Amino acid sequence: MPAHVVGNAVVVLLFAGSILLGVYLRRNRLWREALGEVARRRPLALAVVAVYVVVALLDSVAWIGGADPGTDAVAAHKARSVIDRIFEGTRENSYSAPFAATSFYGDLPLERPGTHPLGTDILGRDVLYRALKGARVALLIGGATSLIAIPLALLLGVSAGYFGGRLDDAVFFLMSTLASMPGLLLLIALIMVLGRGTWQVCVALGITGWVGLCRVARGETFKLRQLEFVQAARALGVSHVRILMRHIVPNLLHLVIITFVLSFSGLVLSEAILAWLGIGIDGSWGQMIDQARDELSRDPIIWWNLTAAGVALFGLLLAVNFVGDAVRDTLDPRTARERL
Amino acid sequence: MGAYLLRRVGYSAVVVLGVLFFLFLLFFTVATPDDVARQALGDKAMPEVIEQWKVNHGYDKPLWPWQSVSDNLLFDHFRRMLTFDFGRSDADDVLISQRIRQGMVPSLSLTVPMFTIGLGAGLLLSLFVAFFRGTYIDSAGVFLCVLAMSVSILLYIIGAQYAIAKLLRWFPISGFDPDPSVIARFLALPIMVGVLNGLGGDVRFYRTVFVEETSRDYVRTARAKGAGELRVMLRHVLRNGMIPVLTRIVIAIPLLFISGALLLESFFGIPGLGSITVDAIQGNDFATLRVMVYLGSIFFVAGQILTDISYAWVDPRVRLG
Amino acid sequence: MKVWIAAALLAFGTGLACTNSPYPSADDTSSIYYTSFNEAPRTLDPAVAYTTSAHAVTGYVYDTLLEYHYLKRPYTLIPGLAQAVPEAEPRAGGRVAYRFEVRPDLLFQDDPCFSLAGAGLTTRQVLAADVAFQLMRIADPAVNSPVIEPFSHLVGFGDFRDRLGQMRQDDAEFAALPPREQYAAAGGIEGVRVDGDLGLELVLREAYPQILYWFAMPFSTPVPWEAVAYYDGEDGRAGFGDHPVGSGPFRLVEYSKQFRMVLEANPNWYGARHPEWRAPGGVYPSEGAPGDAEAGLLEAAGRPLPFIERIEFRREKESIPVFNKFLQGYYDGAGIIKESFDKVVQNDRLSPEMEKLGISLSKTVSPAVYYLGFNMEDPVVGAPAGARGRKLRQAMSLAVDSARWTELFLNGRGVPAQSPLPTGIFGFDPDYRNPYRSVDLDRARALLAEAGYRGGIDPTTGAPLALNFDLYQTSSQQLLQNQFYVDAWRQIGIDVEMQPTNYNQFQEKVRNGAYQIFIWGWVADYPDPENFLFLLTCDMARSKSGGPNTANFCNPRFDALFQRMKVQENGDERVALIREMRTILEQERPWIELLHPEDYVLSHSWVRYGKPFGMSFPTLKYRELDVELRARLRREWNRPVRWPAYALIISMVAVMLPGIRTFYRERQ
Repeated sequence: MPAHVVGNAVVVLLFAGSILLGVYLRRNRLWREALGEVARRRPLALAVVAVYVVVALLDSVAWIGGADPGTDAVAAHKARSVIDRIFEGTRENSYSAPFAATSFYGDLPLERPGTHPLGTDILGRDVLYRALKGARVALLIGGATSLIAIPLALLLGVSAGYFGGRLDDAVFFLMSTLASMPGLLLLIALIMVLGRGTWQVCVALGITGWVGLCRVARGETFKLRQLEFVQAARALGVSHVRILMRHIVPNLLHLVIITFVLSFSGLVLSEAILAWLGIGIDGSWGQMIDQARDELSRDPIIWWNLTAAGVALFGLLLAVNFVGDAVRDTLDPRTARERL
Repeated sequence: MGAYLLRRVGYSAVVVLGVLFFLFLLFFTVATPDDVARQALGDKAMPEVIEQWKVNHGYDKPLWPWQSVSDNLLFDHFRRMLTFDFGRSDADDVLISQRIRQGMVPSLSLTVPMFTIGLGAGLLLSLFVAFFRGTYIDSAGVFLCVLAMSVSILLYIIGAQYAIAKLLRWFPISGFDPDPSVIARFLALPIMVGVLNGLGGDVRFYRTVFVEETSRDYVRTARAKGAGELRVMLRHVLRNGMIPVLTRIVIAIPLLFISGALLLESFFGIPGLGSITVDAIQGNDFATLRVMVYLGSIFFVAGQILTDISYAWVDPRVRLG
Repeated sequence: MKVWIAAALLAFGTGLACTNSPYPSADDTSSIYYTSFNEAPRTLDPAVAYTTSAHAVTGYVYDTLLEYHYLKRPYTLIPGLAQAVPEAEPRAGGRVAYRFEVRPDLLFQDDPCFSLAGAGLTTRQVLAADVAFQLMRIADPAVNSPVIEPFSHLVGFGDFRDRLGQMRQDDAEFAALPPREQYAAAGGIEGVRVDGDLGLELVLREAYPQILYWFAMPFSTPVPWEAVAYYDGEDGRAGFGDHPVGSGPFRLVEYSKQFRMVLEANPNWYGARHPEWRAPGGVYPSEGAPGDAEAGLLEAAGRPLPFIERIEFRREKESIPVFNKFLQGYYDGAGIIKESFDKVVQNDRLSPEMEKLGISLSKTVSPAVYYLGFNMEDPVVGAPAGARGRKLRQAMSLAVDSARWTELFLNGRGVPAQSPLPTGIFGFDPDYRNPYRSVDLDRARALLAEAGYRGGIDPTTGAPLALNFDLYQTSSQQLLQNQFYVDAWRQIGIDVEMQPTNYNQFQEKVRNGAYQIFIWGWVADYPDPENFLFLLTCDMARSKSGGPNTANFCNPRFDALFQRMKVQENGDERVALIREMRTILEQERPWIELLHPEDYVLSHSWVRYGKPFGMSFPTLKYRELDVELRARLRREWNRPVRWPAYALIISMVAVMLPGIRTFYRERQ
């Protein structure tokens, strides 16, 4: 199946999922109030995150065909996203400064003077376009990694905490082993072994990232197991699976959300370091920063490329961090604090 | 307490063995010694040269115990790591232990001051912010912390080198010299960047701890007894907030030592362990890389044991055992 | 709180007392040349070391029998440790002999290893036998030398190699002997005859005039057997690959791969001990290429070398610091890897800032070529595809604008290549224009249609023709630079995808033949067309012999021409042969020749006699530093700007004070 079909399907699923989630959250008073509280405390940050998400979604909806894409004869046969189509034909020959009418070197007239709000890069690509495309990669890093790490962490953490005994020992041993290795090195070693690529990076991040949540989930499950309603359910002979699904996991959801939001910025920052080592994800802001950093030694200095990538990254992380703080404060100030 | 410690150390040893097994899976079964040899010797190397190289590096054995009980790579790997006999680098045949010894001084001279200054500055600033809780100093402080946390360390380094070293010319852009009369100027900038990079998260975390502590009863009692606000902060809040602070510090130490210094040492030309690790990564020098991961986990495990002991030390209520 | 602010002020104050000088201040007065290196050499064993960073050290430590004239172009050989450049002497059976006469009274550098030759000795004389010893080391399979092929022209070279390997296999006791005794027992190389202390006769199987160039490279330097025996990596002694012992103008006094490599003038070098010899390699040359006198390059004529006392290579992993430290005056020249310096030189001109600093620029075309290669054994792009494949390669060649690539990524530091041969190499034709090396998209599309890929569409899939572009590096910079070619091919509808892997995995793909397009560069070992065109001969094919012909180009006609061209003296006949070979390459397109890089020398005003050399050949012994000028300018350029520190402190206090005041007022 072509990649863009998968991408479109994911977007549709995400839409459907968020509508369902929205309906569920509206019905549930606790969640509704909590979300309302977050929105009240950090409206601006939430709006910024929403903008990034919209950009990433627009870059994920892609189809083949449509208007002639200009000099790139291959692109016509490839799926192009909404963002790609907006910026079609904006390519110049090489560097140009923001809103410049001429090229940076040689003062030659541009194809589209004055239309590049963030200038163009060395290959003449619009920097705003590249910065926007980075949003999808950043959210993919956070999203795909969480998709791997959270189920793994929940599965292991909950079963270890609930069943205890040998299983608990094994999970705890696995956690201590992984946690005692320097995270970044482990990450790098995994990618060296798995190979370079988007999914490999996400898998490696997932493998190194599940331990934190697992530890919290295990501890919480341990506590929940002692509580009366769980004890009562067990006394009534309710099956383990049912208890786990009905009573334990729903009571861990707030922790999952907190962990997801708070670890997001760490994941994206790790990817930037991987990009510096040449094993990051193509098209990420980390890669943009790495490609642009030598440009500061050019004379006259070329700053817009580095700045665009840096600010785009910074903006997302700042907003996510603020939202994360608010989410944590509203949902559960106590447990999360102990973990971080 | 003795029995507890013994158990604690025993468990840590098991964890270290787990790490070693994991490293074996990763570095011997996925990248076989033949691959590594060919990488080091080039494509044209004759088979006997490759064999000789494998002998020199101790890779001329079957992988698993069931292939040869007495002489296999798995047992060999454990034996060599546990006796700290790391052998030679895959890339250039230098003794890894010698390389680590050489990297130790530069690494420690960067990380120890970075750690202490970072801790000192973090505690001071967080106490300062917590002291003025509720004022605009507090909210501005928290805001700045989140701001500082959202910047990639790459940008900190590039920015500091550009602004402070190139434009303002305060410190050398990069370089190192172990001579004590000049060492400070090389370390100033990387320490500054390292501290700044960690400060945001630290201060925010410590502040939360301290603010929480200030709402406790004993603080109110102390205040009622007429203790000054400053005294309350330093004598009571700081001491009682130490446990969560310690936990966080211990997690940070091994990171700081190996992975945290990767970028700093590379950009600032400090010939320490981080720099060695980056070389190993870029040169596919698996022998050095796995030693680094192993050492990192030993530091981590040792740190955890130390924390447990220090819990008892800062908080007499904690009884180990 | 006051204490705290005072402490902060104090910290800032002491911080500002520091300077940005990366060196101890005593260095201001001595003639130390500072430069940088990016990646430490894997080994400094002269029989093995083949990288630019290794030659930057071995080239100074190990003097060679012959060397190149510093100023003359085209490159000219002059005697080094030898008395004269030998002439070829024809022998029976098509054999050719060369006779070297090593200079008398040459000494190795002082080193403890010579105690093996006699108690208390710290040095000894350089003998012809030391060269012979090194040639045997090159043949030794255990040394794993990369240059076996050229030295195989020596009579008995391969036999010696096989004999040695066989004897080691048969006899474990023999294998445990020190190398020197093993070589003696194996009988040495037949074609290498030591005549007395100083005479060395080399007999070649066939004419191979290029052999002389190999005696101007560190591979064939005299190596004392004592050093190889003593530095065995045991008992705390370094390995020979980490501890060079030679007879060159400099010796290695500090070698820290993570930190720095320090060379110091060698007092035992013949130039220092016997300035009265006026040996060509021991004094500054008194004649040069046209224009050298005007450029002041002949002012030092006849003065004994070297002028510099000490060379410090500092490790710099990242390029920004190197370049900025150069601008601050803390590096005297570009590092071994010069990439970052390209950024500032815009289209052959220095930036205004650099002109203000008095930096000068000179350049020369390196005897090197960068190219995109096709795997000629691939069923789509290679020879199995017949005329279709050829037309595809021709079309792809027509789409690549290497002049623009050079401008973008090297700032014009290079000339677009028309054939493998760069200017300065015999057979280079300045008027030649390769019909497939200028951009012509319409023609490319037409050729593509003829090849059966109309509009780039592969009829079997109905989608654009998909090809793999295999890279051996994964750094973001490399991806960006190669994206240019991908974009170029996309214009004619070919969907080329970069496959970045690390070097190891790339080699694996090459071994398995699982590659289509790759990018590679070749820096000549010596200035002869043979050293470029052999890269495309069948004997050198990667798939057959593991040779450097990664394109696996194999054309009988080309090979026959090459064999004739190789032994031909420079002249019209050789030109004709090279032309014919060029035509084959032009049509077959195993390579898309990209560019010949140019070597820049950026010099500060205090560095004298800098002339770019192009090849990886050590030239610092010819440079001179004006240490006083350097010290003065460094001080002038590096005055710290302090006011922002004070401004920062004052503004911080100013912002915080009102808050603190209100707080206390409320508390009261």
